Amino acid sequence: MSDSTILVGAVAYDPKAVTIWEGIREHFVGQGIAMDFVLFSNYERQVESLLQGHVDVAWNTPLAHARVRRRTKNASISLGMRDSDRDFRAKIVVRRAAGLKSIQDLAGRTLAVGSRDSTQARILPLQFLRKAGVDLGKVKLLPFDTDVGKHGDTGTSELEVLKALHDGRADAGAVGDLIWVLEQAAGRVDASKVEALWTTPPFDHCMFDAMPSAPKEKLERFQKGLFSMEWENPKHRRVLELEGLKKWMPPREEGYASLHEALDLDEK
Amino acid sequence: MSVVAIDGGDVPLGGGLLALLRPALALLRPGGRLALLSSTPSVAQDLPAWCRVEHHEYLGAEALPDGRTTHLLARGPLGILRAADSAIPERADPATGFAPRGASVEPGGPAYPFTLLERDHVIPPEVASLYEQAVSSQWVAARDVPWATVKPLPPALERAVGQTMTFLAENELSALYVPSNFLPKIHPAYAEVAMFLATQLNDESRHIEVFLRRAREGGGTLGVSSVTTSQSLLSLLELTDFTEAAFLLSVLGEGTFLDLLKFVERFAPDEATLVLAQKARVDETRHVHFGLAHVRHALGRDPSLYGRLEAAVRKRAATMASAGGVPAPLADALTILAAGGADPRGVRKGHEAFRELLETMHQNRTKRLEHAGFSPEQAKTLSDLHTPNFM
Repeated sequence: MSDSTILVGAVAYDPKAVTIWEGIREHFVGQGIAMDFVLFSNYERQVESLLQGHVDVAWNTPLAHARVRRRTKNASISLGMRDSDRDFRAKIVVRRAAGLKSIQDLAGRTLAVGSRDSTQARILPLQFLRKAGVDLGKVKLLPFDTDVGKHGDTGTSELEVLKALHDGRADAGAVGDLIWVLEQAAGRVDASKVEALWTTPPFDHCMFDAMPSAPKEKLERFQKGLFSMEWENPKHRRVLELEGLKKWMPPREEGYASLHEALDLDEK
Repeated sequence: MSVVAIDGGDVPLGGGLLALLRPALALLRPGGRLALLSSTPSVAQDLPAWCRVEHHEYLGAEALPDGRTTHLLARGPLGILRAADSAIPERADPATGFAPRGASVEPGGPAYPFTLLERDHVIPPEVASLYEQAVSSQWVAARDVPWATVKPLPPALERAVGQTMTFLAENELSALYVPSNFLPKIHPAYAEVAMFLATQLNDESRHIEVFLRRAREGGGTLGVSSVTTSQSLLSLLELTDFTEAAFLLSVLGEGTFLDLLKFVERFAPDEATLVLAQKARVDETRHVHFGLAHVRHALGRDPSLYGRLEAAVRKRAATMASAGGVPAPLADALTILAAGGADPRGVRKGHEAFRELLETMHQNRTKRLEHAGFSPEQAKTLSDLHTPNFM
């Protein structure tokens, strides 16, 4: 982009992505900040487009963010994240009737997991179980590889995990704590059948990424627009609700250490 | 700093615990502490995650000797409700939407397109008692009018009744539509006004029903709708200011209508006509009272309103300048009605009665204007400018 318009890439994991980004753009324009967006169908394409300079900023999942960090040898610029992206955790949820008392009891049992590119429902829960001493070679995995390329954004694989637990196809399952809490609050979890057994250590979720070559002034304008959105402003409220946050936060990298470890292990 | 303690028993977070937790947190200010006693181990897994999502702070857990756990949390900064206030606000906030007055409103809601937001321009103090009167005075057209007393009349008198009823129904249709324009603009903090208007709309519907039925009951037909009437009623429908509309429709229009209904009662050819005119007049009197209360209250708070209301009357008079006097079909019908038929000796008296009616209308209008807060000179000027259509 040669003009001053900030071009943001996001993945259209749901039709509401259009509503969200039109709302954010309207807010930016109202602040006098020229911004537009491009929607991608998957994170792999979005990451390539960011690396090639086709977009100024990419709204990335933790996996896409980690890949950008690795591809740029940590030179990429992180711009901001949602409050809800910080200290994310995954849950190991169990079917009460299966009688698991601790994660060590997973040996010989069926563990339902989400899509292979879902950080919260597959990559990190397995990584943390491994680190906690669970021999994954002895656990039967029941994977739900739905919406691959969307990195677990759609939540469909996590809902499949919960379904498998409710109807007895799995003894345990891995889900992100956001879905777990929201499904409980919405009354869609039968607490007499399933319960949380274990919680992973915290990790961070999505991040706005930019290339080191991006004009500094442009990135500052982006952050200014982003951080001026307020939960109790009716004009911002709907967009923030749809995007699942109450407040935009500054970036931080330490929350991705566990994901990098998992990716290192994968690359070996 | 306040502290609240609740016993969650063995209820899991996803099994109903939130119904205990959320109301307890709502009692606290941001930073206030809540202690939750629970015997369910999964609560330790779920509560920190729920706190993270809802922006409360999970401070930790303490195991008790009996195996239960006390979880401690601090209430987060979001979702603080606006204090409930059941007093009628001087200025209403469009962002409280349809929340009934006295409800605690969560901040961040959308602004509603209500435009009548000022107490002194919307809600006179008398509205509550007028609403009660309206509710207890409702009547039923089919039951409460002695329709059996209607007998066929001589043709000229039958036509006069049909014409008079047509005129009454046409005007009442406008009285049904004009307030309807303002009802959705009234902020629900002043719901009593909207509710009173709803009774008024119901009254007008009933009046339309009885006037049309009376026109046909004795075998007669409807009469003429004249251009003067049509122009006059359009000028009411086009009003965009609530107080101007209350003034022109209720104080001047419906006020004048009272004298007309009284005239119909006086010369009613049968008991049914007498009763329906009487009952309609009682309802209309209430509407006039509401209009007077509204205008008097608004004038008392905002003296500049005199000029605006006078301008509204002048503007309406200007748009009606081409119209002559009372629409001819109506003038004739009222004359024949008062004469009791087409006998020339009676018609002379009927004409006198009609002229008296116009004079009575002018005098009463002037009195009502003075009652609303205008000076005698202003009242006379405004009454003279009033539409020849009566309404």
